[in-house]
Amino acid sequence: MREARILTSEDCRAVLERAHSFARGGGDTRVGILSWWQGELRWARNRMSLASDRRSIRITVARTVPGGNPGGPVVTNQLDDASLEAAVRAAERRSELGSKPGRGLGFFPQFPLYEPFQKAAIWSDATYDLGLEERGEIARSMIAPAEAKGFLSAGYLEVRAGALAALGTEFPELRTGEYALGDQPYVRWTQAQCSTTVRDPTGLGSGWAGLSSYDWARIDAGALAERAVQKCQASRDPVAIEPGRYTVILEPQAVADLIGSLVREFYPRETPEGGSPSPWRLAYDAVLGLWRSKLGMKVVDERITISHDPADPALGIVMHPLERPRPVAWIERGVLTNLGHRFDTDVKRLEGANRLRGATGYRMSGGDTSIEEMIRTTRRGLLVTRFSNIRVLDRESLLSTGLTRDGLWLIENGEITKAVKNFRFTESPLLVLNNIEQLGEPVPVFRPTKDEGGQLTPAIVPPLKARDFSFTSLIDAV
Amino acid sequence: MTVSRRDLLKAGMSVAALAALPRPLVARLGPVPEPVQSIRAPRGRELAFRAVEAARAAGAAYADVRLTRTRRRIFQKADEPRALQNVGDSEELSVGVRVLVDGYWGFASSPVWSSDVMVRLGRGAVAQARVMAFGPAREVDLASVPAVRDEHWTMPVEIDPFEVSPAEIVDYLRSLTYFVARYPEFKVVRNECEFWVQDKAFASSEGSYCTQRLYRAEGKFELTLRENGRPVAGGALDVLTPAGVGWELYKGQPMREHIRRLMEEIKEDHALPIKPVDVGRYQVVCDARTVAHLVDATLGTATQLDRVMGYEANASGTSYLSDPVGMLGSYEVGAQVLSVRANRTERGGAGTVRWDDEGVETGHFALVEAGILRDFQTTRESATWLADRYVEAGRPARSHGCAAAPSALEAPLTHTPNLVVAPGPESVDFDGLVAGLEDGLAVKNMVPDMDFQGLNGLGGAGRAYEVKGGKRVARVAGAGFLFRAPELWKRLVALGGEASVRRYGMRASKGEPAQTTYHSVTAPAAAFEEFTVIDRMRKA
Repeated sequence: MREARILTSEDCRAVLERAHSFARGGGDTRVGILSWWQGELRWARNRMSLASDRRSIRITVARTVPGGNPGGPVVTNQLDDASLEAAVRAAERRSELGSKPGRGLGFFPQFPLYEPFQKAAIWSDATYDLGLEERGEIARSMIAPAEAKGFLSAGYLEVRAGALAALGTEFPELRTGEYALGDQPYVRWTQAQCSTTVRDPTGLGSGWAGLSSYDWARIDAGALAERAVQKCQASRDPVAIEPGRYTVILEPQAVADLIGSLVREFYPRETPEGGSPSPWRLAYDAVLGLWRSKLGMKVVDERITISHDPADPALGIVMHPLERPRPVAWIERGVLTNLGHRFDTDVKRLEGANRLRGATGYRMSGGDTSIEEMIRTTRRGLLVTRFSNIRVLDRESLLSTGLTRDGLWLIENGEITKAVKNFRFTESPLLVLNNIEQLGEPVPVFRPTKDEGGQLTPAIVPPLKARDFSFTSLIDAV
Repeated sequence: MTVSRRDLLKAGMSVAALAALPRPLVARLGPVPEPVQSIRAPRGRELAFRAVEAARAAGAAYADVRLTRTRRRIFQKADEPRALQNVGDSEELSVGVRVLVDGYWGFASSPVWSSDVMVRLGRGAVAQARVMAFGPAREVDLASVPAVRDEHWTMPVEIDPFEVSPAEIVDYLRSLTYFVARYPEFKVVRNECEFWVQDKAFASSEGSYCTQRLYRAEGKFELTLRENGRPVAGGALDVLTPAGVGWELYKGQPMREHIRRLMEEIKEDHALPIKPVDVGRYQVVCDARTVAHLVDATLGTATQLDRVMGYEANASGTSYLSDPVGMLGSYEVGAQVLSVRANRTERGGAGTVRWDDEGVETGHFALVEAGILRDFQTTRESATWLADRYVEAGRPARSHGCAAAPSALEAPLTHTPNLVVAPGPESVDFDGLVAGLEDGLAVKNMVPDMDFQGLNGLGGAGRAYEVKGGKRVARVAGAGFLFRAPELWKRLVALGGEASVRRYGMRASKGEPAQTTYHSVTAPAAAFEEFTVIDRMRKA
């Protein structure tokens, strides 16, 4: 019999209803329940260092009264009556403190009818059922090729599952189709991730490979181990070359690392019409008294489309009833076409009244040039495995600094000629996406959510070749 | 006896405080659920040893169990003082069991405190370790540690923030915003605080049992200076970084005085002309906060022995101090004036505990003495990796008590303890060091971006000034401070005295799955020579 490691729909419903039975005195009480499980395996120096099985629960209770202050939730991880009742009482007391006019029920516009989306590919039995012994066996098989070559393998393999449900107080005027404000139908998801770093014992070579997916069956651990070993071998004894502008061939992982900040900006903390810096802000319109956004304008190379479809079986995005319920194109053929927004502020201005939370998962369009072909057609350039420690220096231009890591090679006259020492770069993803020469086939990359019980943040990204990438200083760390 | 209004208020307060807590939590210690009492109650001990016994019976050579009960309370403001409120309360129970079987570690954790779950976790952790134990054996020696017999420690704080009514805390925080409202050119853009208390029990198969109560408080207070309604400059108080204290984080400090000084500083700064950065090498004076960040990002990271040995290679990286056995006691980390000690005992430290997460009583130790690398951050397992060198030096191979985890839900790792950089002998502070600088730069609150070995860094984000004839004459826009850790510390020419010393709480994340812990870094101001300064915003 399969042991229940996360709560079932019935379990959640029962807890939520029990919590609601303690609510009194009107208002809208929203109770949410999240349960998660993680099976984890860590190794280093060719030996397992820790295997763990961890589970937890998080119950949040928040209550809103008209004219009151919704405040943040009261959180507990205990399911018994006394704990639930205490949490509900605490939320009730909280909501009556510090009332602020203009907030509360009735503030939101009418919601669009929400049709629950049933087909999202987010659960995989292959992930949930990957047993302890199998995980151990996979890790051993990943260590073996590194050890055989005299290298040191370190890595991490994790399978996890999460389940979420929430129940609000019923208000007929706030019902949209099947669900009321604050309701979250039971949803469960899985995530698998596997990554490995293979280092030369001299400390002068390091290779990495990793992949995450909701579905363990889509992760080829053997291929990852092989790639990390290969990269370690090929990256040994790097030579220093001058920083400067180079044509770069970015492997898909490097592209995903680099454009992370750009994708995050699809959900600005304030809308571009507000005053906060954003790459999507155009100019201040003194007549209308607001900031104009770049919606409808070409922002990157026209070969680029960044979008998501909740039904995409290769992607896997956890759905929320009132947020990102449909396929959305953020950038279409280089044109900014959508931005995340809140319906309580922006609904009148934007097409489609659904609340958009920004892209947690996305797919970026590509081309048909293979990495080998990109190398062959490069006179002088660099091949980048991945980036690390990225920091955005300017939110307006997205100028960022960061490091190359785990494999950087010099290409001369169509061939990889030597491993080179790591660089610090100072570059903007927006400029890179405007300087594209060639694009390859989009593939899933390593983008696990790190929060316990966190939801999937998958990405499918192509490799690309871009000119004039700015490397500003040499880094002799390996 | 007459009852004064004050007494009534006090009584009212504590009633409100009690009422605000989502208590009691319930544990299934016996046949029926019962409220969780103090962590010191004997039932906790029974529960913990239940798991230890289950693990031992299943074949663990060693087992330890932690029970934690963690409460957090968060206060935040919106854009006007009345909106400031208590925005989050959480209370969570966790239990984690860690075992060693044939040299392999297994771990299992859960939010349920019950006898059945203890047994499941004890056996489960052993099953985890067993699966790893096929193939070549892994040798794990645990540095010996005297067993702790039923001891308790409560971190000394002056005011338990959970005994203070949230309404009182909200009122106090609002009063700070109202105080700033007297100065119409300033606006508060951030005013928030967070309190944390954790009750923790530790039991091991070596017979140790100890319980402790730990506190942590932190706050954020940021202002902007406005001209014609638009922000033109800003700054944040630096006296509210995470610390092992209670509500006295605010009540024990002259907050209005601090705010007034911050406003003056922002104005002074704003009055200085702005210059673009002139790329080159400079004498640079750093304030205590910059020095604390630099020490933390370089030596604080690079002396974690698990990182050094490659246990973090697939996560945050390794260390430039790559040969611990060869380097210990001889490697020149920096200039002779540099000495760094580590501890988990200082009062008010954000990383302070009486016993670490392996039940090791904490103490203090030298990491760097007169520029020479003296030691590494260790746990019971990693201390034995250096056993030969310790024996040579006539020291016992004992853990320095650096095992930590945010709660019992996570397995402990080596985390940075509190660090203390020894001040210089002369009584000179930041302004004094600046006064002694004929031509150079001064920098406040620089935050370094490091590489994955704690080796190469680029400092930025703080405030940089041009210094001429001992005076700050201009602000420098976009300055980036480029350094390699070994050269940086060798080019340290002077440290500020006792008067320039400040303590800052830091947050650090490591591991897979990632976990975040806190520690303090205490440092004086300092002067460096030959610091490479670049334009951080300029591309190649």
